[in-house]
Amino acid sequence: MPHLLRRPTAVFVLTGLALAAGALAIIAEPPVFAQSPYQERDFLTRIRRLTVEGRRAGEGYWSKDGTKLVFQSEREPGNPFYQIYVMDLSSGDVTRVSPGMGKTTCSFINPVTGDIEFASTHHDPKSKQLQDEELKFRASGQERRYSWDYDPEMEIYVRSAKTGTYKRMTNARGYDAEGSYSPDGRWIVFTSTREAYSRRLSPAEQKQLDTDPSYFAEIYIMRADGDGSDAKRLTHVVGYDGGPFFSPDGKRIIWRRFNEAGVIADVHTMNLDGTDDHQLTDFKAMSWAPYIHPSGKYVIFASNKLGFDNFELFMVDIDGKKEPVRVTYSDGFDGLPVPSPDGTQLAWTSSRGGGREGQIYLAQWNHQKALEALAAAGPRKP
Amino acid sequence: MRSTRTAIVAITAAVALSTAATFSQSSATFRTRTYVETLASERFAGREAGSAGERLAGDYLAAQLTRLGAKPLPGRDSLFLPFDFTAGSRDGGSRIVVGSSTFNAPQDVLSLSFSDDTEITGSAVFAGYGIVVPESQNFGYDSYATLDVKDKVVVVLRYFPEDADPQTRAILLRYSDLRYKALAARQRGAKALLVVTGPRSPNAGQTVPISFDTALSGSGIAAASVTSRVADALFAGSKPLKDVQQQFDSGNPHVAGFPLPNVTVTLKTSLVREKQTGRNVVGYLPATAATPTAAKPWVAIGAHYDHLGMGRNGNSLAAKDDAGKPHLGADDNASGSAAIMAIAEALAKQPVRRRNLLVAFWSAEEMGLVGSNAFVTSPPLPMNQIAAYLNFDMVGRMHDNKLAVQATGTSLGWATLLERANVAAGFDLTLQPDPYQPTDVQTFNQVSVPSLNFTTGAHADYHKPSDTADKIDYEDLDRIASLAAGVVNRLMDQSEPPQFAKVEQSSQTVSRTGVRVFTGTVPDYTSNAKGLLLSGVIGGGPAEQAGLQKGDIIIEIAGQSITNIYDYTYALDLLKIGQPVKVVYMRGNDRRETMLTPAARN
Repeated sequence: MPHLLRRPTAVFVLTGLALAAGALAIIAEPPVFAQSPYQERDFLTRIRRLTVEGRRAGEGYWSKDGTKLVFQSEREPGNPFYQIYVMDLSSGDVTRVSPGMGKTTCSFINPVTGDIEFASTHHDPKSKQLQDEELKFRASGQERRYSWDYDPEMEIYVRSAKTGTYKRMTNARGYDAEGSYSPDGRWIVFTSTREAYSRRLSPAEQKQLDTDPSYFAEIYIMRADGDGSDAKRLTHVVGYDGGPFFSPDGKRIIWRRFNEAGVIADVHTMNLDGTDDHQLTDFKAMSWAPYIHPSGKYVIFASNKLGFDNFELFMVDIDGKKEPVRVTYSDGFDGLPVPSPDGTQLAWTSSRGGGREGQIYLAQWNHQKALEALAAAGPRKP
Repeated sequence: MRSTRTAIVAITAAVALSTAATFSQSSATFRTRTYVETLASERFAGREAGSAGERLAGDYLAAQLTRLGAKPLPGRDSLFLPFDFTAGSRDGGSRIVVGSSTFNAPQDVLSLSFSDDTEITGSAVFAGYGIVVPESQNFGYDSYATLDVKDKVVVVLRYFPEDADPQTRAILLRYSDLRYKALAARQRGAKALLVVTGPRSPNAGQTVPISFDTALSGSGIAAASVTSRVADALFAGSKPLKDVQQQFDSGNPHVAGFPLPNVTVTLKTSLVREKQTGRNVVGYLPATAATPTAAKPWVAIGAHYDHLGMGRNGNSLAAKDDAGKPHLGADDNASGSAAIMAIAEALAKQPVRRRNLLVAFWSAEEMGLVGSNAFVTSPPLPMNQIAAYLNFDMVGRMHDNKLAVQATGTSLGWATLLERANVAAGFDLTLQPDPYQPTDVQTFNQVSVPSLNFTTGAHADYHKPSDTADKIDYEDLDRIASLAAGVVNRLMDQSEPPQFAKVEQSSQTVSRTGVRVFTGTVPDYTSNAKGLLLSGVIGGGPAEQAGLQKGDIIIEIAGQSITNIYDYTYALDLLKIGQPVKVVYMRGNDRRETMLTPAARN
């Protein structure tokens, strides 16, 4: 690389000439964090960016055999919203599995049948219009802060692995999304705001719905092979309950619960019938996107404990008895962690590559080190 | 990893991306070490373009290409593509006569590196800083607005107004490059340009050292710099230059130049340009498919193989103790050359190639992309037949699995292709859209070929004799070759070649001639961090004295917020030598502040 160039970046090296006698002082000491004897590299090695195409991508979930990852990404030409894609982790092939129209989110691969569930608005006749409006808005150079609109058109669909056809699983007015399968593939646990659309709301509630519909979101469970009519509500606490996943043994559900104001969130687990609600975290911050490691011993989640815009990954023992251990140490967003089925890798969404938009990252996960760090953690602070 | 290349042979259907994906090759197949160790050996003495070492290295590369089965380009009978260039310039006896006083080179006058060789006589006109801001900038500044300089000798000050407010300085400095000043004078009919470094500027009263310039001829005007002794003679009948300069230093565009009363100047300029011949080494592996891809039937890969030789020209960063030792250039760019050879080797063994693979080793890159420019200027094949060009420059020092891919803005197709090829390779890719990089990728961008540059970035041994083969990370270099071979295969198989997209050159890209301050920071060019990530600081320099260190991220300097390297360059231009400024930086999660005192750059 020459530095004789028409480019400013060359300048800084050239300036070295002024003090040619001095050697380059390279100080390799990494920053030390008093709070924890561990660093990112203790838990995550061979970090690499997995998704490259498109404005952003996120929420990568593994197939049971670990050979595929289903994720959402804004990369469909003419559509500024997420669509769902499957990446083959041996060939690198990427295939869109959602219809391509409208908004989609929150996909998951059935561990038994290979069917893929996701939420979508493609049935909404306004889809094309909304896409064009958003494209126009972006072309105008304006930017909005990230926000999720809890579109009441959002419904859960299942794409058949055999035929590639879509089956609509929810029909209730309201946002139905954030679904995931049980390990035996027979159940889907999901989030819905249907409550807010099914009864007459008080003026205060109506105002709440207009400003923050997620307030009404609750956790539901339904049969994966049914038509959604058996959906059963599991949570009954005001404030956003969402992002549910099954435990590896299929006996519990883990999710995050926001407070009424929608500012503080914590990780909870419960039985499949909604009983035995157990809170695992208490950071007085936004702790969310929990996922249980396949060993069943601990949970990896994201929290903005260290700064409103700075989400980092943490982990906590499955009973939440100890103080969580910090996992990532990078500026910007680190969230939505999902360990591979064999527990040796971690996929998560991060903005560490620069800019505000996230992409999916992949790293080797050091399970032994995680257990060691969790064992050494102190009791949970009151 | 399950499929092999033979799987591709079996697939004869129209090949799209999906089948290309069946190509995956273990990096164990790629062996870069021998190439790096050979190229970076003492035998090639740093491979300076035009030197015996460069010739030997070129012979070695040509022999290896021949061994792989590569052929000379169609219509050629040799893998060598020689080109002439200027390896350096010195003053050949310039002279200036002002009135009755004669001044000689090199004491009092030096031709500028782009001067014509000529002798002229004319009356002298002082044109202030000689800066003309184009009207399109909505900023009125024209040093010639009230002057008639036709057939005159124009005298200008070096640099730009010293006391102007930061915004004005920022604009003026973009047009203060001496080449630009010479152009402005020539366009107004001036016979010659004389440059004086004013008494209120750094390097006051000194001539401008003849910079390294690879142009083979002059720029159509006599141009020279003179000392304060000559300036005194020129301004003998005017106010003292110091007072004159002070008026102009405010940046006020209404301060006008003036004819220097009763001054006739005879200027003889003479530059001796040392012409040399370098050699690009270029061959190709012909397509082998029964039905080769018709659209743009070439894919090109390239790396420069030249380096700094014994470090005698200005590009060496060797410490005094190391000066004059061979700059072996293991990372820069034996590593890229080795990657090219390894990719070519893999592709040579592959039974089916749907496009021709052009394999290029450029010379005289270190002198300003001279070899690759010579190639595209008189191209042996039409450039619009090349589907894509991949460049490799400094790929042997991987850190934290990070691989920077630059110039991704040259085609919308790159992200798709890189994502898929990287799934197996597993690098932490950083994408940088800007193709105006200080390497040969820029050359191909300029002829509208979709291009990429791969690099693992600068390091403490950059342009020093200590850039040696034992410091190369061969395992990861092999992986890079493997990834690139995957990209090449996908490019070969794609029936539709990537579409070229033009990236506008950032208006913040300023001439480095304007930058005069020295801060002693070594930025990490591969980082996309918000702010300026330091990959090091120069020992004893202002940054080190301010307590900055490797890994710090500068986010603000002198009140200017810094989000990227352009912001930093821009902010640097506004600093004043010796005047301490506040620097805000991040060390880990800590936000810190320090004071930094910029020093003068030579």
